[in-house]
Amino acid sequence: MAKISFSQFRAITAIIILSSFLIGCATSANSRYFGQTVAPTDNIMRYVSGSEPESLDPQVGTGQPEARIYMALYDGLVEYHPKTMEPIPAIAESWEIGADGTEYLFHLRKTAKFSNGDPITAKDFVYTFRRGLTPEFAARNAYLAYYLKYAEAFNSGQSFVKDANGQFLLKKDFAAPSADPAAKTETPAQPHAALGGDSEFHRFLDSPERLSVPSDAKSRTKLFDKDAKLKAAVEGKELVPVKAEDIGIEAVDDYTVRIKLYQPAPFFLGLLAHQFFRAVHQPTIEKFGIGWSKPANIVTSGAFKVVAHKPYDELVVTKDPNYWDAANVKLSGIEFYPLDEQTTMMNLYKAGRIDALYNHTVPAAWNEVIRQYKDEYQLHPEVATEFYVISVKKPPMDNVKVRQAFSLAIDREALAEFRKTIKPLTDMTPEGIFPKYEEARKKVYAEKLKENKISPEDWAKRTFDPEGARKLMTEAGYAVQKSGSGYSTPSFPVDKVSITYNTAESNKAVAEFVQAQWKQNLGITVQLKNMEFKTFLPLLSNVEYEGFGRRGWVGDYMDPFTFLGLFYTQVNEGATGWYDPKYDAILNDANNTVDEEKRFEKLAEAEFYLAQQQIVVPLSTAGTSWMKKPYIKGFYPNPGTLHAWKFAYIETDPNKWDVNANNIMKASDQAVDEQIKQLTATQDAQVEKAKQLAATATATPTAKVE
Amino acid sequence: MLSFILRRLIIIIPMALLVVTVTWGLIRLAPGNFYSSEKKLPAAVEENIKKKYGLDKPWYQQYFIMIGNVVRGDFGESLKYQGQSVNEIIRRHLPYSATIGILAYLLALAIGLTAGITAALRQNSIFDYGSMALAMLGLSVPNFVLGPILVLIFSLGLYIFPPARWGGISSIVLPVITLAAVYAAYIARLTRAGMLEVMRSDYIRTARAKGLDEKTVLLKHALRGGIIPVVSYTGPALAGLLAGTVVIERVFAIPGLGNIFIQANLNRDEPLVLGIVAFLSILIMLFNLIVDISYGFLDPRIRYD
Repeated sequence: MAKISFSQFRAITAIIILSSFLIGCATSANSRYFGQTVAPTDNIMRYVSGSEPESLDPQVGTGQPEARIYMALYDGLVEYHPKTMEPIPAIAESWEIGADGTEYLFHLRKTAKFSNGDPITAKDFVYTFRRGLTPEFAARNAYLAYYLKYAEAFNSGQSFVKDANGQFLLKKDFAAPSADPAAKTETPAQPHAALGGDSEFHRFLDSPERLSVPSDAKSRTKLFDKDAKLKAAVEGKELVPVKAEDIGIEAVDDYTVRIKLYQPAPFFLGLLAHQFFRAVHQPTIEKFGIGWSKPANIVTSGAFKVVAHKPYDELVVTKDPNYWDAANVKLSGIEFYPLDEQTTMMNLYKAGRIDALYNHTVPAAWNEVIRQYKDEYQLHPEVATEFYVISVKKPPMDNVKVRQAFSLAIDREALAEFRKTIKPLTDMTPEGIFPKYEEARKKVYAEKLKENKISPEDWAKRTFDPEGARKLMTEAGYAVQKSGSGYSTPSFPVDKVSITYNTAESNKAVAEFVQAQWKQNLGITVQLKNMEFKTFLPLLSNVEYEGFGRRGWVGDYMDPFTFLGLFYTQVNEGATGWYDPKYDAILNDANNTVDEEKRFEKLAEAEFYLAQQQIVVPLSTAGTSWMKKPYIKGFYPNPGTLHAWKFAYIETDPNKWDVNANNIMKASDQAVDEQIKQLTATQDAQVEKAKQLAATATATPTAKVE
Repeated sequence: MLSFILRRLIIIIPMALLVVTVTWGLIRLAPGNFYSSEKKLPAAVEENIKKKYGLDKPWYQQYFIMIGNVVRGDFGESLKYQGQSVNEIIRRHLPYSATIGILAYLLALAIGLTAGITAALRQNSIFDYGSMALAMLGLSVPNFVLGPILVLIFSLGLYIFPPARWGGISSIVLPVITLAAVYAAYIARLTRAGMLEVMRSDYIRTARAKGLDEKTVLLKHALRGGIIPVVSYTGPALAGLLAGTVVIERVFAIPGLGNIFIQANLNRDEPLVLGIVAFLSILIMLFNLIVDISYGFLDPRIRYD
């Protein structure tokens, strides 16, 4: 066999590829657009949606690839704004929020229909929420609905406890923080007039939260072993299983939905646009069971309906004439191609067989070339961050000075320049995504710096301060010495620290960069370890890694809490082993604040606290980095790359094509602007009405929502 | 002969079960599971999932349930793609892989045999050196390199063929050529070597001595012996081709079984992995059997008792 010459041939072919690629680039860079650019004449958009969707059932699939498809097929109470991703009216034409922030009243439009013509009513939303939380259904996204009262208790199969007098035990009587790791703050249970009329169910929901314990005897015993008081109080009493009907959602009438949360969650409205809360059709699901989402059976609620589904090949959807806003749906259909091979989709794009890609699809090696196509390349900040979590319980990383030293020793500007699509990050929340929050944060940080006697200059050096890093490292007991042209830290236990990441070209590049930085600035060479994604996950969640673990975090909704909440409660998702009740207290306080600005200030306080603990090494805010043909309009590089498809359209007149994607968020498109204005008008009127009401009467003020 | 085939057929069943068992063990040993993701699930949600899929039972119970299903030919439902049975997925995606695979196989045979025989007959001629050099190139260039080069030239340069995705005859030209290249090269070399060896053997000399014309010598006597190495190579190779090749299917976005298999592994989709592994192992064993049987026809010295 010809194995001898294999490596030589590989080298030769690599050169051939490279040179032919360069030739290809050189020739195409002369034209304005990347490859074939001809607007389709059939008004059907062709979009790459990522890997094959798990299911067409919006309460099953949890990934972005599914979310992109669900947004075409299903409509919720609210929809994501195509540019900002803030919630805008969808099936709910307006809503009110109770004064204490735990009660939401949604007014549904009467014209909403499923794809089979059945009306969408309040009952459908009640059904959807209850279905998603049913334990046997085992939805992975169920936790998103845990803000609803008794949702978690129902989903985790718990029971209320009834004493001999027929009275239920209340949670507040057992609120020992040590007993329940996930102890939430108590609802401010001042009885108040119900939004949208009183009902017996509402009185039940509005009464103090009942105690719930596991229905399963084994888990109950386990809980009792930890809490003798609970055991004494509960044992021998009647257990009443929490039912779907106990969850805090109610159909007040056919077109009014009331939702009750156990504590204020100001970001909840934004969460409701999530696929998990979009309306599904009860009769179809009950008739076909698990097979309901097959193309032959499926009934949908969104702007488009399924025509054909060939797994791993394509999903074809067409405009649904029954959709309530069909008049404003401009595309005749969409073809979703389930691809996740970057080069393949770039080839298809260049050959003019795909109209738009999803985020992070431009291969790093292509970036230099692609970014020249300014009308097509979409690089905007993303509601996603990349950082290294630190295993804070194990020495030497249990020393905050060591952690800070490592963080300071990375030149983030250089990293951003090297990676091309990212922005440097020194905090927990992404930069340029929450402008109002960032303003509040600026103010809070200034105060905090004064309080802690930190000069603004020092604080600004957080992006990169090698001098400071060496000083801190030395202070921590690991003297950094000058050696030759660099540094060395011989006493540092290098064998106890490494960077572990899941195998990916980009993760490797970042890890190598950081490794080089630490070597250069601290004289410490940490090991790099990479492993397959699903192998890496348990290592992370059990905090079994040593030193640093790579994480990327994508926000669930457009609020800083989706990032700050990563370290909230004792069993948090942070994967650092860190928990601090003080941090929880600040966050609770923030979320109990109705006023947006004040709430943001409190969140900023929490973020400052977190920054000082340095339990993570923030690296970057991600960039969207995808392409679309200039003739696709009403389609924006929003922070989550989730597109409300009814705004998208194909412009056949080249004079009206999109130019300069950097300016695309600010540039106005009359068709889309008008459409959004029309949609939000109903809620604006509601807010106006509430304001007037509040001005004239003092009873039941309603909070303003945006 | 018949008893030989029967014996071999019966062995396939326990062998396949053994393969499934080992695979099952490997999946279970691998960290992570089908529902793990970047976002850690609350304990209650995880409990619900475990209950739903019977993962809360002891491992030996789970194993016997699994083996019981496999014996009945039912691999159950995919964990990742809810509501789709493994059998349905294999049935649905096999044709894509098989189409590409069979076409590539035929193309490889046509090119490989022709080139190999011609090269052997005209040993040390320009054609011999030329075709063998080409074969070397074909063997040395991996298909993940050849594929993109073809795409670059024919799809992005000349815009003749689509760069990827299934649909119409034009879409399968590039993947078939890419896939066939290595096999054609290997077959060419095997054929040439086999033919050269046979041509020198005594029975060919005898045939010639008998005064048979060159055509009969070549096709009736030499070829049968000369292609034995090709048969023993291409039998199992065809099984692999039918079941799909990962690289080709990913580069050209073909919804074939190879693509599904890789994804199933990454997703820890246990039933799907087991189903495809069982299917593949049976397929390979069957093709090996066919190869063994065909030896009997090709080489009169081989007898099955």
